[in-house]
Amino acid sequence: MKIDVGDYKGNKVVSLAGEIDMHSSPALRERLLVLIRERPQRLVVNFRDVSYIDSSGIATFVEGLKHMRTYNGRLQFSEIPQGIMEIFSFSKLDKVFEICGTLDEAVNC
Amino acid sequence: MQNTEHAIEVTGLRTRYGDREVLKGLTFSIPRGKTTVILGGSGCGKSTLLKHLIGLLRPSAGSIRINGREITTLDEPGMDRVRGKMGVLFQGAALLNSMTIADNVALPIREHTKINEATLQIMVRMKLDLVGLSGFDHFYPSQLSGGMKKRAGLARALALDPEMLFFDEPSAGLDPVTAAGLDELIMKLRNVFRMTIIVVTHELPSVFAIADYVIMLDKGQILFAGTLDGLRASDHPRIRMFLERKPEQQAYSPDDYFRVIAGE
Repeated sequence: MKIDVGDYKGNKVVSLAGEIDMHSSPALRERLLVLIRERPQRLVVNFRDVSYIDSSGIATFVEGLKHMRTYNGRLQFSEIPQGIMEIFSFSKLDKVFEICGTLDEAVNC
Repeated sequence: MQNTEHAIEVTGLRTRYGDREVLKGLTFSIPRGKTTVILGGSGCGKSTLLKHLIGLLRPSAGSIRINGREITTLDEPGMDRVRGKMGVLFQGAALLNSMTIADNVALPIREHTKINEATLQIMVRMKLDLVGLSGFDHFYPSQLSGGMKKRAGLARALALDPEMLFFDEPSAGLDPVTAAGLDELIMKLRNVFRMTIIVVTHELPSVFAIADYVIMLDKGQILFAGTLDGLRASDHPRIRMFLERKPEQQAYSPDDYFRVIAGE
């Protein structure tokens, strides 16, 4: 898995590529928690190039959101491929995370 | 090279317990991303076959390829790597009685990954919720009903997000409503996670509910391998007997029977 952290219109964006699985999610957790420690008001995760996510990846985002909720921060997901979206829906987490179509939609809502 | 269409390919599989040959040269494939039911009467060899597919037994002869990799000649570390992609729900759920349900589910994650404890606890709660056991984290197996133990066993089988999920008689000992709930869960796992699911059973309602593909065994041989519609349409007398729940005919004549009980 590849993790890129950048800025888009003044917001922190984490762009992920490849498979988020039991091997790669500890590294994702580390990066995510470092970013969240800075207490960003909004953190966008772009899933465009993600081919797979397992339960360890989903649990990592749940943990991230749990931390952000303590200070009313927003964790938003953009450009989720269809197969990944089905997994979020099955886990009922599509109602918990803020799911946005595009990166622009995420930073503008 | 990996066959993308078939998750498992078995060729000429033979095994024996002492002098008795239990599997008599089985050749078949299990399609990837589908639910395959291994069906047959008691003692036909289906549980033995399952144990071979998960590498718990070694055959007398033949080949078993999982994702294109021959497993009959693998050493234990090699087999462990293959098993890392498998989840198994054993007939009796095989939970560790000295551990809570949450620790039973966490065990494979703790053993095989470097997942942080906070993430792990969330994963465990996700797995328990998936099987309808939210809130039972701190219960011990002895405090659960038979159906709940099965579901806890399934949560543990799902702990490492396996590519392949094996069930040994999942409905055995469950009431029809609980069994139907388990069937529904099996179908969801196939549809959403595209898992390859292998179910050993003799429960016909379950077969008709979940099977995409059926392998029927009889006396250690394959009687049928094909789709559910193909099974329903078969006019093979042994298959008809099974589907129509007809009892076995008398196995031998009165004279033969006398010789058997007289020990002649």
